[in-house]
Amino acid sequence: MKKKLKKLKKLNLSRRNFLAGTATLAGIAATASVAPITIANANHSEGKKGLPDFISWKDRNALIVHSDKGIETHRSAIGESLVTPNRNIYIRNNMPTMTDEQIGNRMDWKVSIEGVKNPKTFTIAQLQKLGHETMATILQCSGNGRGFFKHKPRGSQWKTGAAACVLWTGVPMKTVVDACGGINGDAVYMTSAGVDHEPTGLDPKKAMIERSVPKKVFKDAMLAWEMNGVPLPNAHGGPLRMVTPGYFGINNVKHLGKVAFTTKESSVKYMKKSYRISPIGKKGSQYPSCWEMPVKSWITRPTDETGTVRAGKVQIVGVAMGGTKKVRSVKVSVDGGNSWKKAKFIGPNLGKYAWRQFVLETNLSAGTYNLASLASNGPDRQPELRMENRRGYAHNGWRDHSVNITVV
Amino acid sequence: MKIKKFLLIILLSISLYPQTLFADEAKMIKGLEIFNETAGCAACHILKAAGSEGNIGPNLDTVEGLSYNSVMDIVTHGLGVMPAFGEDEILTKDQIDIISFYVANSVGK
Repeated sequence: MKKKLKKLKKLNLSRRNFLAGTATLAGIAATASVAPITIANANHSEGKKGLPDFISWKDRNALIVHSDKGIETHRSAIGESLVTPNRNIYIRNNMPTMTDEQIGNRMDWKVSIEGVKNPKTFTIAQLQKLGHETMATILQCSGNGRGFFKHKPRGSQWKTGAAACVLWTGVPMKTVVDACGGINGDAVYMTSAGVDHEPTGLDPKKAMIERSVPKKVFKDAMLAWEMNGVPLPNAHGGPLRMVTPGYFGINNVKHLGKVAFTTKESSVKYMKKSYRISPIGKKGSQYPSCWEMPVKSWITRPTDETGTVRAGKVQIVGVAMGGTKKVRSVKVSVDGGNSWKKAKFIGPNLGKYAWRQFVLETNLSAGTYNLASLASNGPDRQPELRMENRRGYAHNGWRDHSVNITVV
Repeated sequence: MKIKKFLLIILLSISLYPQTLFADEAKMIKGLEIFNETAGCAACHILKAAGSEGNIGPNLDTVEGLSYNSVMDIVTHGLGVMPAFGEDEILTKDQIDIISFYVANSVGK
């Protein structure tokens, strides 16, 4: 059988190359009703460290590889100094990361602004003359926590590590809007579009990452060209990315090519069909989109990843976020939620869109413990249980995020 | 009695083995054809066993926990830019069974 398959593989490859040479792939074009495509050069073969080549600069030990396009940060590796180091930050790409060749001169990268009084196109060089700001936000995949859902939703089985706290530098969207004479009166949404689908040749209606968020988001949004002190890496959407504070990762559009203030939500698949929070067994654009992140927290140490816990004084540490509101408090339980103690916020407060570190100092004798954390932003606090939904989005239930430890 | 039972099992195994082998072989050959041509999976995915180098979706050789059931689920319902080959009737149920069998038995080889 091996010989037969080898022969067939060779045969098919030569045919495929022929098809690619004529800029069409019969299968996908005919059956999937998408535009004819050329085969993109693979830039994600496994590198020396067991990471795909396009992120070979990352720290393999900090990461869990679900696939070459779905890479999670270990629970203990999101950083205990508030900001998550770039080399530890998760990867979730719907389209292949653009290469340096495809991007060209970074300062010449263009973004068009539409749905404003005076539509304009800016290069990054021009944006850098317009304004300059730095802010901290949480980048979190909509499906962070999917791995806790019992019905095994499709997609990467993230637990806690599709999240990071990031310092962005760029120009405030409000400054850009002002430079364009203000938003057109009838706009309801800010719609951002990436161009990373373009090298694939796929149908933009199905492949373009174009996301609409409520217009008000522009007031705190940023067009960012720097991430944690370095030029925005291609793998994270360089050279220019929309940052929508408090909103799930998908709305922070990578490889940004256009921002439009629109009266309607985008009609592309990634807006209309994908990223909808629907009941299990149901789907459709009538269900809410993955927009605002809910209040959430989790413990990062001690966990089963951080080694033996010795009896005596223990520092229980973690991170807490308020979503679009300031996180107000965190409580910690060592007995599975039967009793709670208020934890202390530590470290600098980088604003309501960043997470806060927390710590509870306690004494634990030998035994087994279930450690849980429960954050509140005032009006909302974490529920005990996950909100069951088809695709496993927006999980902030405290019980699933708790950890069992043994103290010796 | 024990010897008779043993011989019977041997005989049954011998008679069934080639059938299973041929069925699996046919599925693998047909699966490769669906992967590279009928469904065009090769255009979007790396799968070393199929010699494919597509770079839209994940490299299938790197996908954690990939199984017959998980491939069938995702091929049937789609995900992101990946079409719902079952729901949209792009592939038949038989073809989805074959491609799921093929991919699950090809990853990492």
